[in-house]
Amino acid sequence: MGKAITNINRYSVSEEEKRDKDFAEVKEAVADNKDAILKGIQLLKALEEGGTLDTAYAFTNAKRTALERVVQEISKEQYTPLLENLPSLIFLIGELDVNGIRDLTKRLNKGIEEMEQVPSDEKSNVLDVMKALKDPDVNRSLTMMLGFLRGMGRS
Amino acid sequence: MIERDHTVVTINGTEYLGEPGQNLLELIQSSGQSVPAICYTESLGSIQTCDTCIVQVNGELVRACGQTVEAGMSVQTELPHVHKSQKEALDRILEKHELYCTVCDYNNGSCEIHNTMAEFGLEHQSRPFQPTTYNRDESGSFYRYDPDQCILCGRCVEVCQDVQVNETLTIDWERQEPRVIWDNDVPIDQSSCVNCGQCSTVCPCNAMMEKGMEGEAGFLTDQKPGILKSMIELTKKVETGYGPLFAVSDTEAEMRESRIKKTKTVCTYCGVGCSFDVWTKDREVLKVEPHPESPANGISTCVKGKFGWDYVNSEERLQRPLLRKGDHFEEVEWEEAIGFVAKRMKEIKAEKGSDHLGFISSSKATNEESYLMQKLARQVIGTNNIDNCSRYCQTPATKGLFRTVGHGGDSGSIDDIASAELVMTIGSNTAESHPVLASRIKRSQKLFNQKLYVFDLRKHEMAKRADKFIQPKSGTDLVWLSAVTKYILDQGWEDRSFLENWVNHFEEYRESLEPFTLEYASDMTGISIEELKQLADTIAHAESVAVCWAMGVTQHMRGADTSTAISNLLLITGNYGKPGTGAYPLRGHNNVQGCSDFGSMPSFYVGYEKTTDEDVRGKYEKAWGVELPGGTGKDNHQMIEAIHDGDLSAMYVMGEDTGIVDANINYVTAAFEKLDLFIVQDLFLTKTAEYADVVLPASPSLEKDGTFTNTERRIQRLYKALEPLEGTKPDWQIIQLIAQALGFDWGYSHPSQIMEEAAGLAEMFAGVSYERLQGYQTLQWPVQADGTDEPLLFTDGFPFKDKKAKLFPLEFELQYDTSEEYDLHVNNGRLLEHFHEGNMTYKSEGIARKTPNAFIEVSEELAKERGISEGAEVKLISESGEATGVVTVTDRVKGKEIFLPLNDSGKSAVNFLTDNRVDKDTNTPAYKEIAVKMKVLKKKGKSPIPPNNHRRGHPVPQISVRVEDKWKREDYQFPGSQVRR
Repeated sequence: MGKAITNINRYSVSEEEKRDKDFAEVKEAVADNKDAILKGIQLLKALEEGGTLDTAYAFTNAKRTALERVVQEISKEQYTPLLENLPSLIFLIGELDVNGIRDLTKRLNKGIEEMEQVPSDEKSNVLDVMKALKDPDVNRSLTMMLGFLRGMGRS
Repeated sequence: MIERDHTVVTINGTEYLGEPGQNLLELIQSSGQSVPAICYTESLGSIQTCDTCIVQVNGELVRACGQTVEAGMSVQTELPHVHKSQKEALDRILEKHELYCTVCDYNNGSCEIHNTMAEFGLEHQSRPFQPTTYNRDESGSFYRYDPDQCILCGRCVEVCQDVQVNETLTIDWERQEPRVIWDNDVPIDQSSCVNCGQCSTVCPCNAMMEKGMEGEAGFLTDQKPGILKSMIELTKKVETGYGPLFAVSDTEAEMRESRIKKTKTVCTYCGVGCSFDVWTKDREVLKVEPHPESPANGISTCVKGKFGWDYVNSEERLQRPLLRKGDHFEEVEWEEAIGFVAKRMKEIKAEKGSDHLGFISSSKATNEESYLMQKLARQVIGTNNIDNCSRYCQTPATKGLFRTVGHGGDSGSIDDIASAELVMTIGSNTAESHPVLASRIKRSQKLFNQKLYVFDLRKHEMAKRADKFIQPKSGTDLVWLSAVTKYILDQGWEDRSFLENWVNHFEEYRESLEPFTLEYASDMTGISIEELKQLADTIAHAESVAVCWAMGVTQHMRGADTSTAISNLLLITGNYGKPGTGAYPLRGHNNVQGCSDFGSMPSFYVGYEKTTDEDVRGKYEKAWGVELPGGTGKDNHQMIEAIHDGDLSAMYVMGEDTGIVDANINYVTAAFEKLDLFIVQDLFLTKTAEYADVVLPASPSLEKDGTFTNTERRIQRLYKALEPLEGTKPDWQIIQLIAQALGFDWGYSHPSQIMEEAAGLAEMFAGVSYERLQGYQTLQWPVQADGTDEPLLFTDGFPFKDKKAKLFPLEFELQYDTSEEYDLHVNNGRLLEHFHEGNMTYKSEGIARKTPNAFIEVSEELAKERGISEGAEVKLISESGEATGVVTVTDRVKGKEIFLPLNDSGKSAVNFLTDNRVDKDTNTPAYKEIAVKMKVLKKKGKSPIPPNNHRRGHPVPQISVRVEDKWKREDYQFPGSQVRR
C-alpha cells in the first residue's frame, strides 16, 4: 500500500558487529578445516626456519617491479649472447658423458695429490723419464692422454 | 549399403569407408591419421585458405579439405614431399604470427596454431616473422583485431558472411598486405558490426580476441605494453626452438586452468536458448565460449549473450532485503524480511481468504523456480492465482496450438526451420528478437536456396532480405491466412491423404472459411488478389513449410485466433510431423516456454495438466499432503483488475518488472498502490519494486543451478558459475524460506530434487532428470520415462485420443483502427542490443555507448508532412497516456506508422500508451494496437542513433572469404607446386 519510493536507508552494522561476524566466520572455517590448517602452520614454520618465508614475502611484495626490472635489464643488447647461450649450455650438459668425466676428475685429483708430494726443486733427466715409462701408472696416464689427443683431433 | 560400397578410400595403404559427400579431411581425421589443419572446422566447413592440409590424392598434391571423398581415391599423407608441402604452409603461417605463447592471453590450451605446430613437431622457423604495417584496431566495444597476429585464415569472414550473415567482414586480397576489413575499411566501431562476437569465437588464435580476456587470462600477460613487448622478445630469445617454447607455455596454460573457471550456462536473453561456457576469474567474466555441440546455437551467439553480462556485477544490485518504512525503504536482515512476508501472508489469508493473494512467476527464472512458485501458491496458500509473463507475449500462440495440434510449443527444432524449403515469418522481427535463430534462416536463404517470406508492418532486416515482403494492414493476418487456406482448398491443392489420416473437423472448418474470399481478404489486408493467389500457390506446392511468428501476431485482440489460423493452414497443407515443417511461435524470453510448462499458470499444473481435472488434483493432493483449490485462478490481467475491484490484496512478483512491461502502466501502477502487501523479488530496485512493501534481492542465472526450456521445448541445464553475490539468494531458496516460515518444510538442497519431484508428477516430463541433462545434453519434451524425447513432434500423430489434429473454425471482425484524432499507428518491438525494459543490458557500458537510448522511428513521408527531421522531439499521446522521445527518420517504417522499441523504462516507455485491450481468448494485452496523435516538441536535433551504431554501417555481402582472389595473387604459389619444383 504505497506510492513509488526510491530512498533506501542503508543497513549499517557497527564496526564491532562486523568484526564479530567476520571472526565467527573465520572461526567456523578454522574448525571445519582443522587438519589442513595445522599442516599449513607446520609448512609456514618450516619455511620460516629456513628463512624462505622472508624471501618469499619480500619477493611477493616487489613482484611487479622486480619482474619489470629484470625484464628491462635482461632485454639489454649485452645479455643477448648470454640468453642465447643459456639454452645451448643446457643442451650441452645433456650431451656430456658425466660418468666419463667423473672418472677423469677422480684421476685428475689423484694426479694432483701425487704432484704435490714432489719437491718443487726436484728435476728429471731423459733417463728418469724412460724409467718412469716402465711404471704402469705413468704408462696408463700417457696412453690415456694420447687417446684423448687422438679423439680431439678427429672431431 | 551399395551406396557406401562405392566410397572406399585408401589412406596410406589402408582402406576406409567414407560417407557419400563427406569431406576428405574429415575422413582422414576420423581415420586417426594426423594432418595439420588450421582454417578447417566442422562448424564452418572448408575455407581452403591455410594450405596446411595438403595430401596426395591419386598422385596429385591437393588440399584435403577441398576434396569430397570419391570411390577409389588413393590418399597419401606421409610421403616426404607431402610433409614438405605441409611444412611450407606452416612456415608461411609463422611468418604472419609471432609465437609468444607464455605471455599471450590466448594461451589457454585451445590455440589452434600452437597445437598444430606442436603436433606437427615443427622445431624451427625457416623464415623470420614479418609484422604488417597496420595498427591494432581497438576501437570496438568488445573485441579487437591485431593484424600482426592474423594469419588470414578467413574463419572470421566465413562466420560473419555465412553463419551470422551480418556481412561486415571481408579480407581485401587485392592490397599489398591483405588484412581483414570492416565494411569498406572503417574502424570496427564505425562499421555495421553487430558485435555478435563470433569472429572472436572462431579465430584460431589471438588475432581477433575478446577484450575481456586482455591482460586477464595469463599469469604474465597483465603488463604495460612496453614490458609486454620486451617479454615477447625475451620469450623468443630464451625459448629457442619451438619445443621448449611449447613446454613452458603448455605448463603456463595448465596453471591457468586452476585460476579460470569454465562453467556451462544457458543464455537468459531470448527463447533461442544458446548455451556456452562462461569463463570467470573470481567474479569477473572474461569471456563467453560457445561450443560446436551447443545444441541450439552451435558456435553462434548475439551481442547480449556474448558480451552482455556486466549487470551481474553492477553496483546497483540489491544486496539486502528492503522493507518499506513510511517514505523510504530500510535494509534489513533476511530473517526479518522473510518473517514479515510470512506474517502478512498469513494475516491476509486468514482475514480475506486465499484468493486474495496473487503470484507472478518469471520467464527469466528457472523451471524449478516456476514449479516452486506455483507450489507455494497452491500448496501453502491454497490459491490458483498464479501466472507468469508469457501472458504478455505467447499465451495466444499456445492457445492456438492447443486448439489444433495439442502441444503448445514449437513443432520441431531450429534445425527444422533451417532445413524448410519455405520459411514464413509473421509479425516477427527475428533478426533483432531471436538473432541466432534468424541467422540460421539467413544462412539457409543465402546458401541453400531456402525461400523466405516475411509478413510485417515494418521493413526490418528480415524484410529487407526476404524473397517476398508483404505488409498486411495491422491486425489482419488472420484474414489473409484464412483466405489463402480457402483458395488452396478451392484449387484442390490441399494435402488430401494427410487430412484423411490425421485431421478431424474438416467439413465444419471448410464451411467456416466461406466469408474469407480473396476479394474480402484483399480489402481487409491491402494485399492484392494476385499476390494472395501466388502465395497460396507457393505455400501449397512447397515441399516443406515452417511458419515462425511472434508478438506481431499474438499481441492483438485476435492473437489466439490468428495463431490458430496459422496452424489451420499448416494442417491443410500437411505441414506437420515431417522434418522442415511446423509451427514455431518464437518464445521471447529464455524460459517463457518452461515457466508455463512447470505450472505457473492459473489453470494448469506442471505439463499442462488441468487444475479442473479431479484426478490431477488428487495426484497433487496426495503428493503435497494438502487439500488443493479447484477451478482456475486469475491471470495477470485479472489480478490487476481484481486489485482495482478490491478482490485481491496481496501480490508476490518474482523477477518481472510488471510496472513497465504490462500494458497501460498507469493503470497497473495505480493498482500496486492499492495493495495491502506487495512483495517484489528482483536483482534491482525496478520500477515495480518501487511500489513494494518488501523487496527480496535475488541472484541471476550465473549464480545458480537449474534448467531453462527454450523455444524448441529443449530443457537445458545451467550450472552455477559464480557464488551468489553477498546478501542475495537464488529465487528457489527464497521461495523455500517463505514456505518454511509458513510451516511447510520442503527441504530441497539442490534444484535437481525439485526437478525430480516435478518429473515424478507430470507425464510430460516423466523421463527428465539432471543425470540425463549433464553438460550439453538436452531433452526436448515430451520425455518418456525411459528418456526418449521428441525433437520433432507429431511424427506419430497428435496428442488427442484418436491421434488426430483438429481444424478450428474462426471468424473475423476488425476492432482496431486509427481514427481522425488518433491518426498514427504505433508499432513496437525489440532492439537487438537490449533486453526487455533494459535493466540488464543498459548496465553494459559497451552496449550503452553504442545504443544509449530508445528512439522513435518515423517514416520519411510522415516527417515531411509534419515538418520534422532527424533528432526531432515528439510527444505521442494515446487515449491511455503519453510518451516522449527523439525521432529518427527511416525507411524501416512507412506512412502513418511509428515504431517505438520496447526497451526503455523512462519517458519513452511504450506502455504509457497501451491500454486495457486484450486478446479475447487469453487476456494477453494487445500491445500492438495503439493509435496515437503526435505533438512536435522540437523540429530537429541530435540524432538518437550515435554515429557508431551498427545501423549506420554499410555491410559488404559476399559468399565466404573469396579464397580464389588469394590464389590469383602474383605472389601466391600453391605450396604443393613449390615443393615439386
